[in-house]
Amino acid sequence: MSVFESERTGLPQREEATPGSGRVGFFTDTTVCIGCKACEVACKEWNQLPDDGMFFTGMSYDNTVALGASTWRHVEFIERPVPLGGQITGAGNFSWLLMSDVCKHCQRAGCLENCPTGAIVRTEFDTVYVQPDVCNGCGYCIVGCPFGVIDRREEDGRAWKCTMCYDRLKDDMTPACAKACPTDSIQFGDLDQLQEAARIRLQTLHERGVSEAYLYGVDQANQPGTEGLNAFFLLVDRPEVYNLPPDPVVPSKKVGAAWASMVLAAAGMAAAAFAAVLAGRDEKPQ
Amino acid sequence: MSSSGDGRNVDPSLGVLEGEGAEQATPSDRVVTKGGPPLEVWDRMPSSDGGGRDDPTYFDRPVLKRPVWKWYVPAYFAVGGAAGAAAALGAAAQLADRRGLDGLIRRCRWVAAAGGAVGTVLLIADLGKPGRFLNMLRVVRPSSPMNVGSWVLAIVAPAAAGSAALSRPGGITGFAGDLSGLMSGAAGLPLAGYTAVLVANTAVPVWQGARRTAPPVFVASAMSAAASLLQLMKLTDREERIVRRFAVMGAAADLASEFALEREAGRVERVAKSLHEGRSGALLTASKSLIAGSLVMNLAPGRWRWKRVLAGILGALGAVAVKFGIMEAGTASAADPRATFHQQRAGLGGAEATGRPAVAAPPN
Repeated sequence: MSVFESERTGLPQREEATPGSGRVGFFTDTTVCIGCKACEVACKEWNQLPDDGMFFTGMSYDNTVALGASTWRHVEFIERPVPLGGQITGAGNFSWLLMSDVCKHCQRAGCLENCPTGAIVRTEFDTVYVQPDVCNGCGYCIVGCPFGVIDRREEDGRAWKCTMCYDRLKDDMTPACAKACPTDSIQFGDLDQLQEAARIRLQTLHERGVSEAYLYGVDQANQPGTEGLNAFFLLVDRPEVYNLPPDPVVPSKKVGAAWASMVLAAAGMAAAAFAAVLAGRDEKPQ
Repeated sequence: MSSSGDGRNVDPSLGVLEGEGAEQATPSDRVVTKGGPPLEVWDRMPSSDGGGRDDPTYFDRPVLKRPVWKWYVPAYFAVGGAAGAAAALGAAAQLADRRGLDGLIRRCRWVAAAGGAVGTVLLIADLGKPGRFLNMLRVVRPSSPMNVGSWVLAIVAPAAAGSAALSRPGGITGFAGDLSGLMSGAAGLPLAGYTAVLVANTAVPVWQGARRTAPPVFVASAMSAAASLLQLMKLTDREERIVRRFAVMGAAADLASEFALEREAGRVERVAKSLHEGRSGALLTASKSLIAGSLVMNLAPGRWRWKRVLAGILGALGAVAVKFGIMEAGTASAADPRATFHQQRAGLGGAEATGRPAVAAPPN
């Protein structure tokens, strides 16, 4: 595993990487994902998350459906009627896209900025963490997330999402999903080094003829709406295909207009109230 | 599977529950497959690319999570708005010309006090952990309209209750009541409008896409609601005229701003879809008809009591329908992945705020 990694990225192996900025993240390279769901299982097991129902969906091999309160990694199975760049298929125009989705730990996190209780915090590792002992289950983070990641478990009443294995990070360990990934599709490490590794990988893919590859959310320049994702992706089709928003934005970047409009409307109501009282002053008696 | 029955399959004699998600509660006696998958039954090959290459989705699954709020929250939008507008009208009457308006001021204060109390209860009931409602006031966080609103409500509700209890004029108690009335009136202005900012500050396409026009809709329907409730009460002739004028202004502003909201959201056709179709579309159409009805009743000549009462009932129902309609529209919009995709592809995602769209396609 480590041989392939160093060959591919030309960087020191993960275990040897020295923490630089203290900011960590995931680089999910979807081109090497094989859809084994080891990340989903490792996440459930390590974090001791309950299941959220066992059922057959008919959505390819995806019976997990979506990220949710008790599903913090989700492997998508996309059956495409087009081949991958440079690929020759024996079965007509077809290609698989596989992707392990996760909380993006945005630099400007909608959930964190919306949280009215301060339950959602940014940790010393630059990740976004929900403190379960503070969350009062108001549900405002859920509509604040532009990626539809965080959710409330009905029976529990609180909002939950990926913690990037905060407990493991504190012990200097790799998050469970990245540790379990057999192909290093999920790479964990220092954010600066991951960004560098991702750019090198992208260049390699372009050289090999996979010209449709690009990075999603790697930094602020790449995704100004969120100012970059700590868990970013390498994709080979439009974001919509992976159920990712093409131009996500933290809602608070736009809310100034709503506040301004509210101030005007409130001033209007005050004026209307005075006008209603004063207009009839002359017709007083009775 | 039988070891703990909580969906974790951890044998308590072999493993300790102390993971990050170990606290997450599940019913101990649940049936794992109860209710089947949270999906509609497929009517076509699920693996086929339904939207084609031009407009793809992931099996039509929502990209966003739907709001988890129950009916309490839109009900609070209506009740809290009415409380804020009533407090504002009461304070205006108190400041502008209070002679002969003691009855109106008292009724405004009671509407505000009742709205503040009922609204607080509704909000607490909607929490996943109602016992932790005081955590709302644990921090001051301007980036969260819900936090700002909690503070506003924490001022209005007690102030309005105090002003209502001390609404007999004169003396030190009357002075304290007047002071509370002014305080709740001033804080009632944002109380009527912050809920619109609250829904605008989300990723839900129709709410985000209507963020400039949602506040006037919320404030105007709050005016209509407060005036409508007052119209159901006993008022002097002059008070009746004041309330009617307030109702007319509220209803007219509501109709105009609902129209403007449809235009603002309608910049992207798919985003406005939920304003016109389904339950949300029906509720919003009903709200416009009801409020237009109350406007006609209030403007029509004649001074019968039944006319005033009818206008009040129509206006109050209309104001409630607006809030439930906006809520339902948001839920439908969040469930539609194409609403998000089309909005952002039309340049109304991150690019609208930052001037630069995200990298969202392979380089050519």
